[in-house]
Amino acid sequence: MAETKLITLKINDREVQVPHGTSIIEAARRIGTEVPSFCYFPGLAVQAACRMCLVEVEKMPKLQTACSLAVSEGMVVKTDTAQIHDARKAMLEFLLTNHPLDCPVCDKGGECELQDMVFRYGADTSRFVEEKIHRPEEKWSDLVYYDSPRCILCFRCVTVCDAGMDVKALGVGMRGANSIIIPNREDHLECEECGMCIDICPVGALTSGTYRYKTRPWEMTYVSTVCTHCSNGCKTTLSVRNHEIMRANNRDLSGINEDFLCIKGRFGFDFTTHPERIKQPMVRKGDKLYPVSWEEAAQTAATRLKQVYDAGGKDSIGFIGSNRTSNEENYLFQRLARATFGTNNLDHHRTADYTGLLTALGDNAADSVLTMKHLGESKAVLLVGNDPTNQNPLVAWQIRKAIRQIGAKLFILNAHEIKLKRKATQFVKVEAGQEAAALNWMAHEQGRLDSSLVEQLVQLQAALDAEPEVAIVFGAEITGAAIALLVAFGSKLHGKVRYMALGDYANSRGAADMGLLPDRLPSYAHVDDSAAREGFERLWGGVIPSKTGMTAPAMVDAAQNGNLKALYVMGANPLAHFGTLGFGRGKLELLIVHEMFLTETAKIADVVFPAASAYEKEGTVTNTSGEIQRLQKAAEVMGPRTDFDLLRILSHQLEKLGLGKAFHYKTPHAVFEEIRKAVPGYDVQPTGLLTGAAESTRVRIAKNGHAPYDVPVGLIRSAHDTLFTSGTLGRFCTTMESLPEAEAKP
Amino acid sequence: MELTPQLATRFEKLQTSYPVKRSALIPMLMYAQDEYGCVSDEMIAEIAKRLDLNNVQVEETMAYYSMLHRKPMGKFHVQVCTNVACMLKGGNEILERAKKRLEIGHKEVTQDGVFSLEEVECIGACTGAPAMQVNYDFHENLTPIKFDRIIKDLDGGKVPPPEPVTAGALHERAPGETPLISKRWGIKDSRKIDVFLEHDGYKALEKALKEMTPETIIDEVKKSGLRGRGGAGFPTGMKWSFVPKDSPKPKYLICNADESEPGTCKDRPLMEMDPHQLIEGMVIAGRSYGAHRGFIYVRGEYRYVLDIVQTAVEEAYANGYLGKDILGSGFDFDIVTHTGAGAYECGEESALMESLEGKRGYPRIKPPFPAVVGLYGCPTIINNVETLSSVPAIILEGGEAYAKRGTPKNGGTRLLCVAGHINKPGIYEIPLGMNMKKFIYEMAGGIPGGKKLKAVIPGGSSCPLMTADEIDIPMDYDSVAKAGSMLGSGGMVVMDETTCMVDMARRIMHFYAHESCGWCIPCREGTTWLKKMLDRFHAGYGRPEDIDIVGELAQNMLGRTFCPLGDAAALPTISIVKKWRSEFEDHLNGRCAYKNTEELLGAR
Repeated sequence: MAETKLITLKINDREVQVPHGTSIIEAARRIGTEVPSFCYFPGLAVQAACRMCLVEVEKMPKLQTACSLAVSEGMVVKTDTAQIHDARKAMLEFLLTNHPLDCPVCDKGGECELQDMVFRYGADTSRFVEEKIHRPEEKWSDLVYYDSPRCILCFRCVTVCDAGMDVKALGVGMRGANSIIIPNREDHLECEECGMCIDICPVGALTSGTYRYKTRPWEMTYVSTVCTHCSNGCKTTLSVRNHEIMRANNRDLSGINEDFLCIKGRFGFDFTTHPERIKQPMVRKGDKLYPVSWEEAAQTAATRLKQVYDAGGKDSIGFIGSNRTSNEENYLFQRLARATFGTNNLDHHRTADYTGLLTALGDNAADSVLTMKHLGESKAVLLVGNDPTNQNPLVAWQIRKAIRQIGAKLFILNAHEIKLKRKATQFVKVEAGQEAAALNWMAHEQGRLDSSLVEQLVQLQAALDAEPEVAIVFGAEITGAAIALLVAFGSKLHGKVRYMALGDYANSRGAADMGLLPDRLPSYAHVDDSAAREGFERLWGGVIPSKTGMTAPAMVDAAQNGNLKALYVMGANPLAHFGTLGFGRGKLELLIVHEMFLTETAKIADVVFPAASAYEKEGTVTNTSGEIQRLQKAAEVMGPRTDFDLLRILSHQLEKLGLGKAFHYKTPHAVFEEIRKAVPGYDVQPTGLLTGAAESTRVRIAKNGHAPYDVPVGLIRSAHDTLFTSGTLGRFCTTMESLPEAEAKP
Repeated sequence: MELTPQLATRFEKLQTSYPVKRSALIPMLMYAQDEYGCVSDEMIAEIAKRLDLNNVQVEETMAYYSMLHRKPMGKFHVQVCTNVACMLKGGNEILERAKKRLEIGHKEVTQDGVFSLEEVECIGACTGAPAMQVNYDFHENLTPIKFDRIIKDLDGGKVPPPEPVTAGALHERAPGETPLISKRWGIKDSRKIDVFLEHDGYKALEKALKEMTPETIIDEVKKSGLRGRGGAGFPTGMKWSFVPKDSPKPKYLICNADESEPGTCKDRPLMEMDPHQLIEGMVIAGRSYGAHRGFIYVRGEYRYVLDIVQTAVEEAYANGYLGKDILGSGFDFDIVTHTGAGAYECGEESALMESLEGKRGYPRIKPPFPAVVGLYGCPTIINNVETLSSVPAIILEGGEAYAKRGTPKNGGTRLLCVAGHINKPGIYEIPLGMNMKKFIYEMAGGIPGGKKLKAVIPGGSSCPLMTADEIDIPMDYDSVAKAGSMLGSGGMVVMDETTCMVDMARRIMHFYAHESCGWCIPCREGTTWLKKMLDRFHAGYGRPEDIDIVGELAQNMLGRTFCPLGDAAALPTISIVKKWRSEFEDHLNGRCAYKNTEELLGAR
C-alpha cells in the first residue's frame, strides 16, 4: 500500500497524528476522545444528519460536524466547550420532542444510544409541551418491527441495507418531521432478513421479533463466540439469561466480521432449545431406541465396538466426523479412529477442497492465505463459482465493502447469474461444469472454447494482470486438478495473489486441517508419510496405518454390501448426505451417533449420544480462510454433553476393554495445546485467541513426490445452502425456516 | 401495465434524455399523474421496472414531493396559496371561501370527484396575490367573487383562461427603472425566437462564440460584478472559474428555475416572456467552462412555464442556437428541460442535484462543491434563472458597463418583486444600490390607505424582517447585510401597521416546517416544534416563558443545520421576537391588536 501522508492536528490541546483524509471524529477516537453521534457509523457513508458531532474548529465561524470534516495540517479542534455542550443539549432536546420516552418498556432501554446520550449531554428538564406525532407500530416481518415514534431518523438502517447489504429494502417516506422509514413491500419487508437494520438502530425503533419484550439488557450476560452455521467464522455475541440464549448480535464489532452478521448468525440459535433436542443417551433394543443411563450407553458402545473390532479387524469400522464440531473434538475423533482402532476409514462431508488448494500452493501456501480482512481490503477480486450472497454471506459483505470503500473491482466467473453480478466489473458466464475448462484456458491457453468466451477470458486476464494484488475466491465447483489450473493461472499474474476456498460449514476447514480425511493426517501429511505418522504415534501410542482409508461415500456404500461392519458418526448425517434416502443402514452391525437431533442417521442408530452444540462448548474452530477462533460456552442445555466429553468417556471405556489408550485431556484447551505443538501451521499465539481475535493458521503441504493431486468428481460438493438453510442443523432453526423468503428460494 | 400511447412515447423519450436513467423518475411520475390523476401502485411498479429501480426507491422518492399523490385528486385540483404575500392580501379568506363553496377541506375531494382543495405554500404569484392554481393554471388577484366565478365556470365545464402573464410583471415603467434583462417584456410574442432575434436576440452568443475565448467570457462576467440572483449572492464569474479545467468527466450546467422562496416571482416572467434570453445565457455559460449539456430545473408548479421554455428550446435547436456546432463555432450544447414536483428544499443547489438525479431532495455535504463534484459526480455549475439571463446583456454591453449600472461589488441591475401591503405590487428592474425606502414609497407607490409601514421582508421570507426605521439603506448585497438582513432572492414583502407579527412568525414557520426535508435533526424537529408553539401562542394559549423559548429554539437551529433551510427558518423568527416582542406580550394578555378575542380562540 502506498504511504499515506500524516497530518498533525490538535484536539483538546493534545497533539495527534493521523493519515490524510481522516475525519475529525475518527482522529478524536484515536486519542480516546469520544465525539457523540447518531448517524455516523464507521464504514458507511457519512451523512452529517444528526448534528450531534458538532465541534469547534479554530478559524471556522460555525460549529463543524466532526464526521464530515477531514483533518488538515495544524487544525485546532475543541470537542468539549460550553458552546458544544449547548449545541448537544439543544440537539437532544429537539430529538426528544417526538420521541415517546417509553424507555421503561422499550427493548432498547439500558443499551440505547439516545438514552445514554441524554444521560450524558441532555437537559434535566423538558420544555416541550406540544402534542407529539404518533403512529402505530408496524410489523414488517416475523423478525423486524418498526416503531416510528421512537425513530430518530438517523438513516443508518437505510444506508446499511442499501450500501452495506445491497438489498435496498428500506426507504424514507414522507418529509420533514413526518418522515418515516418504509419497507419495500407496502407494509412488510421482503429481504435477506439479516437484521442489520435492527442491530444498527441506535434506539428502539427497529426491534427483533424474536427478542422483543422478553428481557432487559442488564438481566443477561454476553458471550462472544463463533457462529455455528456457514464457514465464514463470524463472531456472534450471544445474550444469555438463565443459560438460555435470548438473542444474538454483534454489538462489540470485534470479530473478523466487524459490523456484519447475516440471518444465521443473528437468528439461527433457536435450535438449542428446539423441542426435538435429544437430551438423554439412547440404545436400540429391538426396533426401538430407549433412553438409558450414561453408563449403559457408554458401556454398550464400547463393548460392541470391541466386538466388531475383534471379529472384523481394523478396517471393519468407519468413522465419519463433523464439520461443525471443534478442532479439539475433530482431533480426538481422528485419534480414536487412527490410534485406537488403527484405521484410516475416516472422513467428513467435504464441501471444499482445502487439500487441493494447499497442495497446489505448495511452499507458498502460508503466504497465500486470503483472510477475511484481506478480502475486505482487496482492490481486485476474482470469484470463481459459488454464490457468496447465499452461501458465504461474510465473503459477499467483504467484497461489497471493498467495492464501496476502496473502489475494488470484482471479476466473476460463474455458471449462474448470482446476485453479486450487479457489483461486478466483469461477469463471465460459463456453462455449469465448464469452469475447469475456462481455467485451463486461462492457465495454459489450452482447450477449445467458444470464441466469445475466449474473448471474455482474454479481457479478464488482462484486467487481472494489471492489478498489483488479486484475491481469488472459489467454490466447490473447483476441486482437485482444477485448483491446480487456477493456481497456475494465478501464478502467471503480475500481482500478489491470495486464495480462499469456500466451504459450507463452521468448521469445514478445521475438519480437513485436523485430518478427518482418509488419506491425510492432521495438517495434511499423507498417511504414507512415515515420519509424520511416527510423530503422532509417539504422542498417542498405537500404530497409525499407512494405507489410505475409505471416503465417506465409500463407507456408506460399504455399509450396504457388508464390507463395513460398524460406523461411528459424530455430528453428521451421512445416510442423508451420501446415501439415497431410505437407503437405510444396510448390513451395518453397529451404528453409533453423536447428535443433537434424531436425524435420518441417528434414527436408525444402535447407540445415540446427545451432543452439545457449538454454543454450549469451549474449543476452537477454523474458518474457511484458515483463521482460528475460540468458541465460548454460552448456553447450557440439560442432558447433552460435548463431543469432547463423549470421546473421552468412550476412550476410557475402550481402554478398560484393552483397546487403545484413554484420553487424559482435562479440558479442550489441553487438546488445543497438543494441537499447537503437534499440528504444523497451528502453532498460533494463544493470547490473540484468548482475547477473542482470529489467528491465521499457516498450514502448508510439503512436496513429497506424490502423483498429481486430484479427487473424483462429485466427492467434494457444496450443499448449496441458502441464507435460510444450514444443512441438517438448519431444519431445527425454526425462525429461519419459517420465513416466507425461505420458501421462495430454491 | 398498459400505458396510453402518448404517455408511453413520453416515457421512452424521458428514459433516454438523461445521462443516467433514474433522472427521468420525477418527470415520469408527474406526467403519469397528469394522465391518470394520481400515481397508482401499478404505475410505481411500471416506472420502477423501466428505470431498473426497486419499488421502494420509487415510493420513497415520490413521498418526498408534495405535488405527487397516491390517491386521485379532483378533476380540478384547487390550490390556494396562503403564504405571506397571499396571507397579507386575503389568501386565508380565499381559502375559507373555497372550503365553503366546495364543501371540502384541505386535501379533500368533492364527492363527485370534480374538485379537490389544497392549501399550498408560495406558488410564485406574490405580485398577483392572493393567488391560486387550478391544476397548472394560475389565477391571481383573487377576490371571493372572482373565486366563485372561476369555480362556477369549472363546474359548468368551462375552463376559464389562466393569467396571461405573471400579474405585476407588466406595468408602466417607473422613472428610475432600468429595464435590461426585462426589456423585452411586453413586446408582443416576445417568447418567440423571431421576435427575440429582432430585439438583439442571440447577438451576445454570436459575440461570445466568435470573438471571445472561454477565458475572456469568464473575465467579462467577473468584471461585471454579477452575483448570484438566487439568494446567496455569490460572484458568478468566480463560481465558473472554480470548475477544474483538466477534469476528464463531462461538465454540466444547471439552471435553477425552482423559484420558491416566498415573496419571489421574478424567474417566472423571465422565462415566460424571454425564454431565449435564458437559453442564450446558458450556452454562453457552458462555453465559458466547457459544459456541453445544460438542464433547466423548473419547479413543478410552473408547468406552463416549462412548456414555454421547452418550445423555445426546440426553436433554438431548429435555428442552430442549440445542438451541434452552434453558429459554426464547433461548440456543442444541449439543453434538457426538467420538471420538479413540489419541494422548496430543491432550490438548494445540492438538493436540486439529488432531485435531478431522481432522488429525494436531500442536500449534500459540502465540500466538495458542485463545481468540482456535482451532478452525477461531475463538475457542475448551478445558476439562477436571473443570473443566467443577465449574461447576454453583460456580454453585449461589456462587463464594465454592466457593473456601472450598480454599485461597486454589486454590479448591474436586478429584478425586485414587491408584494403585500403596497400600492403598486409588481416586478421592477432596478439598479443595485437603489434606496429601499425610496423604492417602497416612490417606485412602488407606498402603503395603501395611508397606513404606516410596520415591517419589510427585503428578499424572501428567509431574511430577517426589517422595521420601518431600518429601511433607509441602499439595496445591494452588502448594505442590506450590514443592516442585519439579506437582499436574498429579490422577493420583497411589505407589511403595514395592521399586520399581526405573531401571526406572521407563525405563518413563516408553517412554511419551513412543511418544507423541511427531514434530513437533519435541528431543522426537522425545530421547525415543527416552533410551528406548534406559535400556533398555540397565536391562538391565545401562550405562556410567558414561551416568548424566550421561541427565540432560543430558533437560536439553537441557527448555524447548526445541514443546509441553509434551518437558518432560513431561524432568522426571520429571531428578528420578529426581537423587534416585535411587545406583540407577543399582548397575546399573553389575551389581546391581539388585530383580531378580536373570539376570532383569536378560533384561529388555527
